[in-house]
Amino acid sequence: MNVRALCLSSALLLAMVAPAVAHHSFAAEYDSNKPIKLTGAVTKVEWTNPHVYFYIDVRDEKTGKVTNWAMEMGAPAVIQRSGWKRTSMKIGDLLVVEGFQAKSGRPHGNARTVTLAATGQRLGAGSSFGNANEQQ
Amino acid sequence: MRNAWFGVSVAIGVLALSMTTFEAQAPAAGAQPAARGGREGAAGDQGGARAGRAGRGGRGAAPAGPSKPTPRWPDGRVNLSQVPGVKGFWNVMTGSPIAPGGLSTNLTLDQIPFQDWARALYEYRRTRGGLDDPHARCQPAGGMRVFTVPNGLEIIDQPELNRIFIIGGENRDWRRIAMEPGRKHPSEDDLIPSYFGDSIGHWEGDTLVVDTVGYNEKFWFIRGGLPHTRFMHLTERFTRINFDTLRYEVTIDDKGAYTRPWSGGWDIPWQYTNYDGTPGGEIHEYFCIDNERDAVEFAGK
Repeated sequence: MNVRALCLSSALLLAMVAPAVAHHSFAAEYDSNKPIKLTGAVTKVEWTNPHVYFYIDVRDEKTGKVTNWAMEMGAPAVIQRSGWKRTSMKIGDLLVVEGFQAKSGRPHGNARTVTLAATGQRLGAGSSFGNANEQQ
Repeated sequence: MRNAWFGVSVAIGVLALSMTTFEAQAPAAGAQPAARGGREGAAGDQGGARAGRAGRGGRGAAPAGPSKPTPRWPDGRVNLSQVPGVKGFWNVMTGSPIAPGGLSTNLTLDQIPFQDWARALYEYRRTRGGLDDPHARCQPAGGMRVFTVPNGLEIIDQPELNRIFIIGGENRDWRRIAMEPGRKHPSEDDLIPSYFGDSIGHWEGDTLVVDTVGYNEKFWFIRGGLPHTRFMHLTERFTRINFDTLRYEVTIDDKGAYTRPWSGGWDIPWQYTNYDGTPGGEIHEYFCIDNERDAVEFAGK
């Protein structure tokens, strides 16, 4: 990778994961010590305020058990800024999601990036993770 | 050549950042150097120092170069909102009343004159990571917090009716500022404690001064959870220092929680686009309660 490509990809990755705002602080709900990377098919999309939610069926490779995860993104207006459209994600689409699990321990997470498996397109998810001193 | 490409890459990154985060997209051209934007999401009470220009042509940003001058109505009064032919709104989520955010004169957290119980409660709230914030459960952003939440704000001046409305996109909150000359607040017996209180305004030169009492204690007036009581009395000063910049200054006088009144402020930039960055300059609907799914997670801890 040459310098140009390295710089460009670094800048775009930074843009993908830059923190956004939520009506609640990240720390109130999510655990930065519980990073998750999930692969699954979309079962439902809620294009709503205060957060866009999508749900994916994730299969445990060891047990075969399928769990439906709820993943939070930013508000529609937030993630539209980073390239999302309402039609970007459809029922049945295979996704790779990186983010953090809720402190509750339930299958509920805060998405940081979403990769659409069919196209390889990777988009920031308007995560509130990384907001410095947000509690102060 | 490599340096040139590096510069281009960084510029693209900065522009992309401005499209991704709120705070980076609209600090105004001509904003005062003393103003350092923060935002509610970025840094709670203190705000951050991350605000920057979206770059030339960035979404929502003011045009490059110095701001246009402060707009006025035909009678000379300052116009605090849209002018014919230029849509937009105040991108309110860009500041903090506490240093290092906001105006250079802002106090640091250590300088805030807490009463002992208020400091203890504030520190407890911090340990909870915002879990107890009523607004996290979609309760109204009362008091001055309406100026720190996203989704934009307009100030609608109706001098013929002696009133000014402040309308916010977040939950479609609105405040009514009574401008009748000689207007007094209701007596304490008649005041019904509320999220936005009873507001009376007047002009001091080009500055709108708003005096508000009658708050309830059911909200955090800023994200980090600074305590307040029913005695809170806010004096807010709105000065449109140029077309693209509204300077917001507030004095918090609450004998129940602080040992003396204290003040802070920040500059609010004008946003020319819709909140999602598309052309338009109009405030869109945002109801936090629409699909609120966080409270169950809070309860599940």
